[in-house]
Amino acid sequence: MSILKPGLLRAVLGAAAGVLIGAGGLTLARGSGMDIRDGQILALGYLLALLGFVVGIGAFRFWLPWAIGRPVDTTAEHAAHGTAGDWRRYFRFTTDHKVIGVQYLVSAFLLFLTAGTFAMLMRYELAQPGLVLGKEGYNTVMSTHGAMMITVALISIIGGLGNFLVPIMIGTRDMAFPKTNALSYWLLPLPILLVAINPLLGGFDTGWTAYPPLSQQANLGQQAYLMAFVTVGISSILSAINFLVTVFRMRAPGMSLMRMPIFVWSLTVTATLALVATSVVAGAFTMLLFDRVLGTSFFRPSRGGDVILFQHLFWFYSHPAVYIMGLPGLGAILEVVPVFARKPLFAYPLAVLSFITIGVLSFMVWAHHMFVSGMAEFFHIPIMLTTELISVPTGIVFLSALGTIWMGKLHFKTPMLWVFGFIWAFLIGGITGVYLADVPTDITLSDTYFVVAHFHYTIVGGTIYGLFAGSYYWFPKITGRMYSERLGKLHFWWFTLAFNATFLPMFWLGIEGMRRRVADYPPEFAGLNLWVSIAAFNIFLSVAVFVFNMIWSWARGPRAAANPWRAQTLEWRCSSPPPVENFEDIPTVTDTPYQYGTPGTAAAEGGAAS
Amino acid sequence: MTSPRRHLLIAAAAWAVLSIVGAVLVAGLQIIPVIASREADIENSAFVLLSVLSVPVLMFVVVGLGYSALRFRANGDEEDGPPIHAHRVVQGVWLGVSFLLVIGLFGYGAMGLVDIRGAQSADFQVLVHGEQWKWSFEYPDAGVFSKELHIPVGERVHLVISSEDVIHSFWVPAFGIKQDAVPGRETQIYVTATTAGTYPGLCAELCGSGHTGMHLTVVVSERADLEAWLSEQPNKPPPPKGSEPPPSGSEAPQ
Repeated sequence: MSILKPGLLRAVLGAAAGVLIGAGGLTLARGSGMDIRDGQILALGYLLALLGFVVGIGAFRFWLPWAIGRPVDTTAEHAAHGTAGDWRRYFRFTTDHKVIGVQYLVSAFLLFLTAGTFAMLMRYELAQPGLVLGKEGYNTVMSTHGAMMITVALISIIGGLGNFLVPIMIGTRDMAFPKTNALSYWLLPLPILLVAINPLLGGFDTGWTAYPPLSQQANLGQQAYLMAFVTVGISSILSAINFLVTVFRMRAPGMSLMRMPIFVWSLTVTATLALVATSVVAGAFTMLLFDRVLGTSFFRPSRGGDVILFQHLFWFYSHPAVYIMGLPGLGAILEVVPVFARKPLFAYPLAVLSFITIGVLSFMVWAHHMFVSGMAEFFHIPIMLTTELISVPTGIVFLSALGTIWMGKLHFKTPMLWVFGFIWAFLIGGITGVYLADVPTDITLSDTYFVVAHFHYTIVGGTIYGLFAGSYYWFPKITGRMYSERLGKLHFWWFTLAFNATFLPMFWLGIEGMRRRVADYPPEFAGLNLWVSIAAFNIFLSVAVFVFNMIWSWARGPRAAANPWRAQTLEWRCSSPPPVENFEDIPTVTDTPYQYGTPGTAAAEGGAAS
Repeated sequence: MTSPRRHLLIAAAAWAVLSIVGAVLVAGLQIIPVIASREADIENSAFVLLSVLSVPVLMFVVVGLGYSALRFRANGDEEDGPPIHAHRVVQGVWLGVSFLLVIGLFGYGAMGLVDIRGAQSADFQVLVHGEQWKWSFEYPDAGVFSKELHIPVGERVHLVISSEDVIHSFWVPAFGIKQDAVPGRETQIYVTATTAGTYPGLCAELCGSGHTGMHLTVVVSERADLEAWLSEQPNKPPPPKGSEPPPSGSEAPQ
């Protein structure tokens, strides 16, 4: 029977069965007089649905027989790798890292558009004083926008570009754990769907930070968000382990750590952060869930709990998470710069060291989110120091980029435009970050639009500019076709003008005293807010150009050569797109992949395009 | 062909001019539209200093990018740039300057922080209570309560802040003070108002559907006027809430 074959249909049926058994069972039990609350029904229904979905998609069909000592169906195992050119593999539990990369990338862009739609709703409410969506409606829209965009920033580059490229860039045939890799991806659809439908469960109004006690009194939508976040966290940890083992165990001969492409380095540090930090927030969110669902009191002040403790646990992950989001973008940018400047990456060893230093320091700065929270008084001083110190390694990224560009032979293809846009946006984000690291100025600026502007310049500047630069740069490799340069440039200029027109005025709004996370504001802010809303709609429209370019070029674009950019990293030695196992023979690496300007030298041998 | 040294000189000159012009322009900026306390004044000095220092940093990168975009285009040739992998002096100077900047900023910030938040004796104390979605104030010395905050001008005021339900944040922009009100503990902040008058304040921490409308008013007056006003205030707190049902979705077992 085809229904019972592993696949999307069986996954959906499995999820439905999970809801039926979990939520249905508890509802029946409540009907018979047991004291069961809505939150418990949602929790069990979701857990069983997630299990049903993952089993249904086929995640355990090889592990289970192996675990109990039955013979494993090796033909099916090979088939799970997928056949080149078969579109159905993108909708299956496919173990080819390139398929998983595309799954991540396309899903992330779909989520980006959804979260962007929520942003448009926010700007619609804020375009004029007064209320349209209502206060609760606005809070839910704002929280959902944040939760989704955080997910986009967390998974798009490392999950999408990283999965597709890392094995090829280090010269191997797949990730270390292909089935775990597929599981990481297939853990995501259900929690993301759950966040998307949270308004149906009453919404949630705490923002993505979910501070108790507000998050303990909020609606069921809040609980949906907490459960979804923990699930995404599990996926993130699995994926981090996979990246680390792949990078440390499977590099091609000759590729010492200090010959790795800088993009791979950025993902290695990112994966380390994700592995170490994610369990902390998953723990904190689980404690919060226990408070809501099982009646514990970790964060209930009325029964001896401590709400500041939650903030410490939350930010102990969520500040490193800023770098989990940002570092892959910085890596992608530094990978693109030398190719289009035709010069070696400037100060490569220092850039590697700066990524590692950022990773270490990122664990020591979390409490700068809590300067006005009422945490221990003395703690402001060391946190202010570490926070300002992290600007030194971050500054090295600018040194590397500028040092490469200076005296180069610049080709302003679309990816290079995004590099320039990145440097500007990330610079604004960095400089305004100093105002928030400095306690005296932070006291008045925190919780205002200054903060909103700052983190959008940082995350959009770091992650989204890196994502666009990387998406255009690697588009020929991923799809085997060229994108439209003209549409790419239109996208860049429209997006960049609209982005700056949206977020620069927000600094001013913050200084003038407009609070963040409010549905309404005094009339004196009306003019600027209308301007910001119009500019924000333009961001959305410019992304439509990107979407059209990607779809149209993927279907109709001219065929791409193996190495259209004359780049030196290993992925450009494969055909575009690469064959199923990437390389006929594994290449041997002889130097860093940035040997521009030295005629006759190659960074590697072998691995010919097949 | 322009020599590398000449490129550097032109860019450096552009950087110097733009930095000076920019620094002069931002020196007049103000972090808060109305400054009415000693604390806001300290914060504003820090804001101006940071802004003046930001300009050369910003201009360094902008000039570097702009000059490169104008002068280092490939113009269709397939040639590569010079094979420069690193430059010890440039890297050393870059690291040294950014490290010194950070240490300087930290020292200055730490002094400002101690100035604003360091424990100090106070001339006047008020207990601030936040709850969804209003503020109330208690004057322990006079034993009275009020819905507006009244404080004396020119005296060090100690505010002890608490919350009944969720986290709020007590913010009076003109005073440059902001402090979360945290259920289960007391937080505190000091302020010395410098100008008599009436100032708006608001809740700065998302606290539920009424957050947007959670405002307060602060009246700063001479000590004598304040005493007269205090003697007219009730000596009982406003009725506690708790008559209304708990918000929907609250699932705490009783």
